[in-house]
Amino acid sequence: MAAANQLTALLNNMYATGLLDEQFQQLQMLQDSSSPDFVSEVVTLFCQDGERIIGELAKLLEKPSVDFDRVDAFVHQLKGSSASVGAQKVKNTCIQFREFCQSRSKDGCLKTLDSVRTEFYDLRGKFQTMLQLERQLQGFYPK
Amino acid sequence: MAAEARGGDFPVGMKVLVVDDDPTCLVVLKRMLLECRYDVTTCPQATRALTMLRENRRGFDVIISDVHMPDMDGFRLLELVGLEMDLPVIMMSADSRTDIVMKGIKHGACDYLIKPVRMEELKNIWQHVVRKKFNENKDHEHSGSLDDTDRNRPINNDNEYASSANDGGDGSWKSQKKKREKEEDEADLESGDPSSTSKKPRVVWSVELHQQFVNAVNHLGIDKAVPKKILELMNVPGLTRENVASHLQKFRLYLKRIAQHHAGIPHPFVAPASSGKVAPLGGLEFQALVASGQIPPQALAAFQDELLGRPTSSLALPGRDQSSLRLAAIKGNKPHGEREIAFGQPIYKCQNNAYGAFPQSSPGVGGLPSFGAWPNNKLGMTDSPSALANVSNSQNSNLLLHELQQQPDSLLTGTLHNIDVKPSGIVMPSQSLNVFPASEGISPNQNPLAIPSQSQSFLASIPPSMKHEPLLASSSPSNSLLGGIDMVSQASTSQPLISTHGANLPGLMNRSSNAMPSPGISNFQSGNNPYVVNQNAMGVSSRPLGVLKTESTDSLSCSYGYIGGSTSVDSGLLSSQSKNPQYGLLQSPNDITGSWSPSQDIDSYGNTLGQGHPGSTSSNYQSSNVALGKLPDQGRGRNHGFVGKGTCIPSRFAVDEVESPTNNLSHSIGSSADIVNPDIFGFSGQM
Repeated sequence: MAAANQLTALLNNMYATGLLDEQFQQLQMLQDSSSPDFVSEVVTLFCQDGERIIGELAKLLEKPSVDFDRVDAFVHQLKGSSASVGAQKVKNTCIQFREFCQSRSKDGCLKTLDSVRTEFYDLRGKFQTMLQLERQLQGFYPK
Repeated sequence: MAAEARGGDFPVGMKVLVVDDDPTCLVVLKRMLLECRYDVTTCPQATRALTMLRENRRGFDVIISDVHMPDMDGFRLLELVGLEMDLPVIMMSADSRTDIVMKGIKHGACDYLIKPVRMEELKNIWQHVVRKKFNENKDHEHSGSLDDTDRNRPINNDNEYASSANDGGDGSWKSQKKKREKEEDEADLESGDPSSTSKKPRVVWSVELHQQFVNAVNHLGIDKAVPKKILELMNVPGLTRENVASHLQKFRLYLKRIAQHHAGIPHPFVAPASSGKVAPLGGLEFQALVASGQIPPQALAAFQDELLGRPTSSLALPGRDQSSLRLAAIKGNKPHGEREIAFGQPIYKCQNNAYGAFPQSSPGVGGLPSFGAWPNNKLGMTDSPSALANVSNSQNSNLLLHELQQQPDSLLTGTLHNIDVKPSGIVMPSQSLNVFPASEGISPNQNPLAIPSQSQSFLASIPPSMKHEPLLASSSPSNSLLGGIDMVSQASTSQPLISTHGANLPGLMNRSSNAMPSPGISNFQSGNNPYVVNQNAMGVSSRPLGVLKTESTDSLSCSYGYIGGSTSVDSGLLSSQSKNPQYGLLQSPNDITGSWSPSQDIDSYGNTLGQGHPGSTSSNYQSSNVALGKLPDQGRGRNHGFVGKGTCIPSRFAVDEVESPTNNLSHSIGSSADIVNPDIFGFSGQM
């Protein structure tokens, strides 16, 4: 099936480029007949939560006087959720981000926020494609 | 354990409660745990989780909690759970910094998982449940024998002998202590020796018992307090040297922790005369503590100050106890097994404080802080079905009665509120309440030592009696600390005072016996250490007990170091300082280049980055753990663990919800109403 091939290719690509790591594989393995929408659920939650956090980060970093502790706390959250979902690149960028927070570098933080945002949206787009392809496949092979 | 109750197929069906504010993680964990065939409940809010636990102690076998949560610091939750419910708690975080992990361990976490959590790790969590249970049982096994299989024992033995030999030389003691602490940390984390498969009831360090312990320690002087002598002084039938040794270990750790936390705390010493509060640590004790370097003077002062809080603290108010005691008596006969103050690992934290808190010197008192033993325990004890229990029962009754007469209910109520005593080895006072004779100093007989022959399922919930201990609702918060604690002590038996789990053993302390008389006791309790019961001994300032020396009051507060006084105090128990304190790390500004491990491509999770990340960054991140000296966690900007400011209330007792200064025990101490903040005392508030 074209959809199946596309899905496989997409996932392979995401793994190969480091967008995803083995944690995502674990999630894939956890999806089964008892929880057929598990991956979709997790991915969706991550995308929503991630977007919220990035929004908060942007707001915090816009302020003239940045509260780095709060920024760090949010970055930590994002790091945790990206780690849980296997979003490797985002997670790693969060690690860098935290370093800038620790060193109270607004510029560093802003720059890293941009990276995180870019990577996050890239990942999100691919996740959305992935989910669409999966739905198509489910349509073909109803559970 | 709940799982066992379900029979068969352990660990299938083991009940896990997962607490994490990250929805993604929560969903992933839930799925993984279900895959392990556990029974999973998720909760995005720590406060809600705590409520759930309080309402249904037996409902869960193990808890997995995130460290950084917005409404409550994970460490605080950890301590509270340990104290109240004595359930194994596994911490988890994306933060793998060693100091944070260490903190988790020291707070009593059974394990610390780094996100992303893998299935393999989750599959093994049942071991923590079993291990905890076995360890508890093991404590009861070795009564008086030296052949300790428990890993703590050898350490204790060594230390004990050494210190005896050295005649309490500070140096040796300190080094021993250090070694013990380290080993204790490890030991605490490790699984118990599986050799003891018998379900011996474990010793529950009830408030009374703890108070006796503290009294004994105070009497001996911290440097000279060796398990053997403490045991002798305590004179509690059925209590073994090993029990005392491990308890002492924990206590010292706690004191040390408190000391460390309060290192920077200003020194709000309250002049003895000035605060009608609980007598601060006895001069001797305080000195001893300070001398030993465990508790910085300021900390002690602060602590004491806080603890003592109120001049009229409800330390052992005679009136109070009565009702509570009465209740205790009533409850005492219930089959509980649940409400014992389990002296779990985390308890030692409090103990340390307590230790410090005790005013050693009070001449009148014999320097024994009247730690109210945990009256509840007595109650619980009576319930426990063990041979000892029988004995204890009678004793308990005596105690209860005695206590009843001595203390007003109100005291208990307040403090006991949140204490859920887990019935594991109930320690029953061997004798009448007397344990906390404020005026007497050590009351060896009070030792409530009840070792139930059968260990309750180790997740036994707290006996209903304990739970509803009205006693806890001490009307008079007199006891500064934990108002509740006071009550506990007062209620002496009725309330399972705060389980000493976790650092907050506040309830334990004052509970009764000594504490009775003095409101001072209450002071302690609120503060940090149940042990601090100093209040009791100290003669809680408010009380002219005679025993409690006023001077001790001051020291009490100081000793505990817990005190709320400095908001940061949180005795490190739980609260993480708001500002990024959690991380407490200062990262050197330019570490992006990976100054530390430039070539490492491993991120904080230890996963190879391999993505062209500058290895350095990740490594930097890790290395920056150099830590600043972690600030006491206060949660995100909140004083989570800290009850009110400046109160000496161990974070444990802080309210579940954000700790606003109003939660201060100090506030509560004055008024019974306040005390009832369940959280403060680790009680569910339903008392």
